[in-house]
Amino acid sequence: MKSNNRVNPPRRLADMIYEELFHQVPFNVAVIDRNYNVVEANKNFTEYFGNWKNKKCYAVYKKLKKPCKDCPSVEVFKKGKPIVADAVGVDQHGRKTHYVGHVFPLRIKEGGRVEYALEMTHTVTETDRWQQEYQILFDRVPCYITVIGEDYRIVRANEAFRNNFGEVLGQHCYKVYKRRTTKCPNCPAAKTFRDGRVHHSTQLGMGKRGQDINYAVSTTPLMRGSDNIAHVIEISNDITALKKLEHQVIEAERLGAVGQTVAGLAHSIKNILMGLEGGKYIVSLGLNKNDKEMISEGWEMLERNFEKTTSLVKDFLSFSKGRLPQLKMIKPGFLVKEIVDLYKDIAAQSGIELRSEIDKNVKSAPLDPDGIHTCLTNLVSNAIDACLMGKQKGTEVLIKVSEGRDKLIFEVSDNGSGIDYEIKKKIFTTFFTTKGGEGTGLGLLTTRKIVQEHGGKILVDSEKGSGARFRMEFPRKRLMALYKEMK
Amino acid sequence: MSDSKKILIVDDEADITKWLTLLFEENGYQAISAADGSEGFDKAEKELPNLIVLDISMPVESGVKMYRKLKESDKTSEIPVIMLTGVTPEFENFISSRSQVPAPEAYFEKPVNKEALLEKAKELVG
Repeated sequence: MKSNNRVNPPRRLADMIYEELFHQVPFNVAVIDRNYNVVEANKNFTEYFGNWKNKKCYAVYKKLKKPCKDCPSVEVFKKGKPIVADAVGVDQHGRKTHYVGHVFPLRIKEGGRVEYALEMTHTVTETDRWQQEYQILFDRVPCYITVIGEDYRIVRANEAFRNNFGEVLGQHCYKVYKRRTTKCPNCPAAKTFRDGRVHHSTQLGMGKRGQDINYAVSTTPLMRGSDNIAHVIEISNDITALKKLEHQVIEAERLGAVGQTVAGLAHSIKNILMGLEGGKYIVSLGLNKNDKEMISEGWEMLERNFEKTTSLVKDFLSFSKGRLPQLKMIKPGFLVKEIVDLYKDIAAQSGIELRSEIDKNVKSAPLDPDGIHTCLTNLVSNAIDACLMGKQKGTEVLIKVSEGRDKLIFEVSDNGSGIDYEIKKKIFTTFFTTKGGEGTGLGLLTTRKIVQEHGGKILVDSEKGSGARFRMEFPRKRLMALYKEMK
Repeated sequence: MSDSKKILIVDDEADITKWLTLLFEENGYQAISAADGSEGFDKAEKELPNLIVLDISMPVESGVKMYRKLKESDKTSEIPVIMLTGVTPEFENFISSRSQVPAPEAYFEKPVNKEALLEKAKELVG
């Protein structure tokens, strides 16, 4: 009863501050005596680890029945110095928790022995989880990730990268990716260091076993402060399999087309054989009748069919070649002049004017001179034939070369017979010809193939009776990319 | 020559029509020619030949189409036809797809054996 009437003395400010700090500090704080008893703990501790009164610290932190082998407080009691340690415990709900603890010695008398250990712990379970997740993502993501320093040395590399390129930390990226001794031209990382933007490019590298690796890389800046780019992250997708598949598909298409053309080839050869048979028959008949005119007619037929054989074999070989264009930097106008020189007299003999227009803005371009020569030859000879079939006067063939929007354009147009819709659908089909025995049916197909090998496309604009215009478009970017790839 | 049998040769290869024309003429037939199926059918209806020698692969109108038209027309349906082909699968396709029309009287694969062709022509038109 006496105690009920007792008046509490006013609390000292220092006590108030201590109490507030003890409970509000964002740590789990506990005081342990030399016998592992928890003698005091703050609210955070109680909320996290549960009831601690009259319990041993190992029972509270880890739900154990005897002291931990690596108890940091024992160390503090022994050495009298603060230490930092991390440990894995169990919270009051039985969940495993990873925490870092700062343990301080408390002495009752200054210079006396350490009577208590003050343990301030904070949980790192969440950070830990995030780190683990990040590490798993970093290593297991199905692409290569490297972090490049300003000196182009690799400071970090994920597991996928290390598996394919080897242990590479500290090495220059250009050496690792491409076995180069100097920086790569058009390096996307260099661009990112320069302008702080994301850059993309497709590259060919070499793996640790010397194997080719095609990859599509994106470079992203890693900022230090607001505007200083300390590192660049390179994220690359391995597209080797895709590239291989692409080649396989092209090869399969090519083989398919070749297979399909064999039937057509057989047809053409058989027709030629018939022509030769016919020539032989007429010559023989002429000899029997002593008819010089007939002999001459038969002989011409033989010559014509021998020539067809040559032309068919040449076109077929050109069509079946599965090669990359042999690109050289050339002036497109030269190719046009060459064709005009070649065909001007032939056209003139048939009353056809062959003209050219070379736009003065046309710049040099990486082209396969032989390939483009073949294309222009095919288009011009077709145009001349169309003019002859049109049988009208004042016919002309025009070859133009100009610069479009980021593309180089060749155009061959005529005002000859034109092409109707049904035929237009078939002109790029193997062995399709409107010239009867005169054509092999491979010219336009070969032309389209060469144009496509240059990354370009061919367009036709024509109607029956109103001439035709064939347009070959070559995007400059693709030409340059092919040129680089070839080099 | 007015009593001689008339043979229509339809082929887009000028050398082939020239040769067959001469071959038939030299063997007592009268020969006329056309360069595609469309022209061939018109000539067949107009000239009513005793025999048609017809190529299959031709631009504009194929021999297959012309053959169908011949068999559908009252004027020409009885004219015997010898088909010529450079490609065997093409002819096999034609045979398997011709459920509505009768088979041609004969077919020869190019290059044609002239003796065999003449013999067949003789057998068909005399």
